[in-house]
Amino acid sequence: MSIMAYNGGCVVAMKGKECVAIATDLRFGLQAQTIDTNFEKVFPVNKHMYLGLAGLQTDIITVYKRLMFRKNLYEIRENRVMQPERFAAMLSSFLYEHRFGPYFIEPVIAGLDPKTFKPFICNMDLIGCANMPDDFVVAGTCEEQLFGMCETLWRENMEPDDLFETISQAMLNAFDRDAISGWGAKVYIIEKDKVTIRKLKTRMD
Amino acid sequence: MMSNNGVNFAPFWHNGPAPGSFYNFPQNNIKSNSAIDEYGFQRNGGPITTGTSIVGVKYDKGVIIAGDKLVSYGNLARYHNVDRVFKINENIILGMSGDYADFQFIKQYIDEIILSDFSADDRIVLKPKDLYTWLTRVLYNRRSRFNPLWLDMVVGGMQGEEPFLGHINIRGRSYTNDVISTGYGTHLALPLLREYSEKGPLNEETAQQLIQKSMEVLFYRDCRGYPKYSQANINANGVTVSDHEVKQNWDLALSIKGY
Amino acid sequence: MLGINQFPEYQVPGAVQHQFNPYENNGGSIVAIAGDNFAVIGADTRLSAGYNIFTRNHSKLFQLTSSAVLASCGNWCDSDTLTSILQTRVRQYSDTHENKEISLNAIAQLLSTMMYGRRFFPYYVSNILAGIYEGKGYVYSYDPIGHCERHTYRAGGSSSALLQPILDNQIGLKNMEEKPTIPLTVDRAVKLVTDTFISAAERDIYTGDGVKISIITENGVEERQIPLRKD
Repeated sequence: MSIMAYNGGCVVAMKGKECVAIATDLRFGLQAQTIDTNFEKVFPVNKHMYLGLAGLQTDIITVYKRLMFRKNLYEIRENRVMQPERFAAMLSSFLYEHRFGPYFIEPVIAGLDPKTFKPFICNMDLIGCANMPDDFVVAGTCEEQLFGMCETLWRENMEPDDLFETISQAMLNAFDRDAISGWGAKVYIIEKDKVTIRKLKTRMD
Repeated sequence: MMSNNGVNFAPFWHNGPAPGSFYNFPQNNIKSNSAIDEYGFQRNGGPITTGTSIVGVKYDKGVIIAGDKLVSYGNLARYHNVDRVFKINENIILGMSGDYADFQFIKQYIDEIILSDFSADDRIVLKPKDLYTWLTRVLYNRRSRFNPLWLDMVVGGMQGEEPFLGHINIRGRSYTNDVISTGYGTHLALPLLREYSEKGPLNEETAQQLIQKSMEVLFYRDCRGYPKYSQANINANGVTVSDHEVKQNWDLALSIKGY
Repeated sequence: MLGINQFPEYQVPGAVQHQFNPYENNGGSIVAIAGDNFAVIGADTRLSAGYNIFTRNHSKLFQLTSSAVLASCGNWCDSDTLTSILQTRVRQYSDTHENKEISLNAIAQLLSTMMYGRRFFPYYVSNILAGIYEGKGYVYSYDPIGHCERHTYRAGGSSSALLQPILDNQIGLKNMEEKPTIPLTVDRAVKLVTDTFISAAERDIYTGDGVKISIITENGVEERQIPLRKD
């Protein structure tokens, strides 16, 4: 049993036309035993940026808090909002600092540039090797299922409504084939003037 | 799982997690790989006297199989003039790599089959596909008894009018293809052969040139390679087994500095 | 792998221990869909191990009768052995039953029994059997030791995790509030199988080169081949 799959869970993010989406499942468990069905793995970073963390729950919370500390310090010192690219670079170097005793998490970043509103998505492995593709990024215990779904459903330049439907269907059908992910989902659609957050009811088994 | 692409990366630290794979909590101490333990000597059943790569190419009217004439004993170049490519009968040619003793063992049986096939005198002669299937079964049954024949063989020949080229490995995993190689040849010769064969059927001349080039590359880059090689060519006109030698050119060696 | 370490009572001095691994993962993916009066089954045509591709044109589909096709992948030497024994048994059936073809459900049971016969040294393969029986389409899937289950759609092999949720969504119509009423025709099933393989070839190095699709109807079996990416 992998430490990365000890608590279960998954995160996915997608690019759309002038918007990005990020989604998380809501399960928190100890191996096969479900403890909580309302554990969100996506956290707000700033107005236009969200961070998703899949992996070991204790590390998810720790990494999120330590990252917010560094990010707040940056924003106070520079007196400006952090860009997603900078945030990704910061997270990457933070994770690599722990190269020989890593946090067991796989991060996913989704956001818009605070000035140009250019969509940005990124994921990393547990030691900070970043990947910034043009389509979608996935992480968590149903990674393979998510790859299959996203590869089939994703299209270029989707409008926010389309993007919501695509990311939701990708996530729902992927985690229904994974025993340790699921139990509800939460989807964030980030546009330049608003963020739409929807909670999805799913099968609870 | 596809997540680590079948590659086992080294763990981050002793008994630690490896990138892209599941982490195992250190509960059972993994046994060391030493050959001798409290239960006596562990036989690994590996190959001893070995032949290296075999290269096979199918062309429009026939098949060529080639392999060098060296049989090694570990790092020692032990036997320098051994045939590893054979004419089996008028329809079949065969190349072997892997353990030469295992091959000699199976060759006796092949020769017996050919003899009894000849003795039947019924104008029905063994064809390459027959030998290919038979070898697949023998090697599969041996692997299933955990007593494998350490062989990688390439069977070629004329299946009636059609050229045939097939590969059988130690586990009895078999397939047919237009170009086949074993051992280091899969890394060094196959890319070269595929570049030409994927454009369409080869003719005898290009097939011959490709084999020559492959044997040259293998000689220069495979440490268990050898300049002398034999090749078997089969087509409607029959089988010819011939000896060749790679034309060596070490002029380049003079300009290599810094090692 | 199951070894002597799991059986401490046999670990006595002098006991011969082998470390030869009889299994090899040759990859490959298979998908099957059952319709009302047809079945569609597809398999990629790559044969590989590790980072080597042995051949790009290798059929994993085996037509057993005029109404049954088996797809088999995993450890190729086991697939090869299992399918040739099965083909022999299918032939034996018709030879001993006045040339009557063996029915699909009988093959399904036979295959399960044959695989369970190797319970303690399994055929390391993923099998899906598709066909029609009494005019209706059926799909059966197997685990390596012979567990057999009937489905309307199924994915197997190295990309099974990538393909199965797509089928859940597009054919099982899972997670949809307003279920669309698109009938499952042969054309739609073939298009879906093709699309799933195109997606799988993007992300799985053991799937690619081409996909071979067999369409089984009352008129027999029709074969099609579609190219996939070759890297």
